Amino acid sequence: MMHQNQKNSGIPQSVLLRMAKAMLFWLGVAVVGLVGTAHAQDDVRVDTQNCLLCHRYPGMGRFDDKGVKRIFYINDLKFANSVHGKLRCTNCHVGLDRIPHTDIKKVDCTTKCHLKEPSTEREFSHENMVQKYEASVHGSNGTNKAKPFPEDLPTCKYCHKNQIRGPVGGWGGVSEAVANETLSRCIGCHTKDQWAQNYYLHFTHRMRRIRSPEEIVALCTSCHEDHAKMSRHGLDTIETFKDTFHWHLVEFKVKNAPDCITCHVPVGFTTHDIRPKKDPNSSINEMNRVRTCSNQGGIQACHPKATEDFARGRVHAYGAKARLATGEHVNAFMDNGDSLLMERAQKEVSEQERWHFKILLYIRLFYKMLIPLVIGFMLFHQSLDFIAHFRKRH
Amino acid sequence: MQDDTVTSGSADTKVPHGKISFVRLNRSEKIQHLIFMLCFFVLVITGFMLSLLPGSLVEKLGRFGNAVFFYRSLLHRAAGTVMILTSLYHLCYLAFKPGGHRWLVDMLPRFKDATDLIHNLLYFVNIRQTPPEFDRFSYMHKLEYWALVAGTTLMSLTGLMLWLEWRWSKFLLDIGALVHGMEAVLACLAIMVWHMYEIHLKPHRSPLDNVWVTGRIDEEEMKKEYPLHYKKIMADENLQAIYMVRENP
Repeated sequence: MMHQNQKNSGIPQSVLLRMAKAMLFWLGVAVVGLVGTAHAQDDVRVDTQNCLLCHRYPGMGRFDDKGVKRIFYINDLKFANSVHGKLRCTNCHVGLDRIPHTDIKKVDCTTKCHLKEPSTEREFSHENMVQKYEASVHGSNGTNKAKPFPEDLPTCKYCHKNQIRGPVGGWGGVSEAVANETLSRCIGCHTKDQWAQNYYLHFTHRMRRIRSPEEIVALCTSCHEDHAKMSRHGLDTIETFKDTFHWHLVEFKVKNAPDCITCHVPVGFTTHDIRPKKDPNSSINEMNRVRTCSNQGGIQACHPKATEDFARGRVHAYGAKARLATGEHVNAFMDNGDSLLMERAQKEVSEQERWHFKILLYIRLFYKMLIPLVIGFMLFHQSLDFIAHFRKRH
Repeated sequence: MQDDTVTSGSADTKVPHGKISFVRLNRSEKIQHLIFMLCFFVLVITGFMLSLLPGSLVEKLGRFGNAVFFYRSLLHRAAGTVMILTSLYHLCYLAFKPGGHRWLVDMLPRFKDATDLIHNLLYFVNIRQTPPEFDRFSYMHKLEYWALVAGTTLMSLTGLMLWLEWRWSKFLLDIGALVHGMEAVLACLAIMVWHMYEIHLKPHRSPLDNVWVTGRIDEEEMKKEYPLHYKKIMADENLQAIYMVRENP
């Protein structure tokens, strides 16, 4: 019957259905576009490809196949002020020739984005950074072999959020006045205001730290405190950092407080090229420790009188590896599947470190016994005194 | 500094007339105690701020956290320095002043202290009917004093180690930091349980024993708490000149 009907009308029902869907979609786009035009702002900055026709609406998004909420809304003002504000959407989002975007590819940060890098006059790309990163502890670790569990490794976007640029020292207040004064000097020669503004913000963005020390610690610990993830890679978790004096400074929001990158990426090193501590190019390699602790050339000389003896020791307290290497009790999360951690513990924890760990352990144990004994005796004695006093009185 | 007191005890009479009181702490000792106490409070607050202040409260400090941390560090070091200097003065006091000599001799542990402890515990549980007769310092005072000496020595040494961090290996600093923290917990709890009971909670002294301000106790209390010392004073005119004060001549 159905086949007969299709024959009669001359157009298959599936085609009719597809046409109806397409009409509905374009009708939707038109309605959204019309409504949007009514509320459109005049200051849309860099949308030469008209992507914001759809992407300007805060409700735009969907749940993907894994149930993750994906938001496709773009705030054009924020984007224009971000580090990628001068780029077109398709410079990074390659493809996108169809609507709906069924041909979208994952953003590749090594893509040449058609901006000219002024020092070489070549097309700009993050390729050199990605290469460094690939060779770092977060990549192949200098082995040119892919690491196991690649899903654990941070991608560019894990750390970089297309930050909004700002003048030195943050937004508003005195820094804004500094920006105004500096810019007024630039604009004397560089007459294009927008160009001068962009140039100024490009530099000042690099002159301030985007994340606070607390945010840096939160970012690094989002992986490095994950026991399961770390033990898969034979690594200690780093919650012991929070037992250090360094953490207390971070916690109290002390200016220039020592966070993860203060020691792991001091002046002269780059975040993308963090190396394992045995690598001579690592800031925490024994050869570089004095320089790292004293932070020579940095904004703040942290331990200017640091000696080799001082700088040689551990900054984080001993963790699971030391406990495994010395046969001490390890938390329940260390199951039999953590043979890699055990193997690395046996290989990496030196005899001296084991000895140090044990001494600290015994001192702690001594106090853990002494304190309850002494205080217990005191409580016992004073309680008896208290009771005896009332008994004698009555 | 007036260390040998304060006496109006008449040399030609064995027992002075009128109301009498007894010196427990002379002026120097009272000042030493006061400075030590203030330093202790400052050190406890500024020290435990690092480990005991909940993260949520630190978070609430916001941008003031920087200033709070700065003054915390400054006060901790200043109070530590004053406490060390007071301790050094106390050593000089013990070595060079007659009051210090007497303090040291009276504070030395003796076998009687061990027997007094057992006797007192038996008295508490009603096996012995009378408490032990204490001299100038009971075993309770001696325990606390020598614990304070040991604790202050350890805290001063480890505190100075942490302050002059670049002079030591990180391993020694780790030991220093660990001992400093653990000893702080022990000292704090000991003061709270032992000393606070003695001056605040002990029923006949509650809410506050004021001997740290006046330096004296009356005859009744002296007879009751330190009967052996009382008898010694009453039998010795030299001791009367040192420890006895006639308040209503």
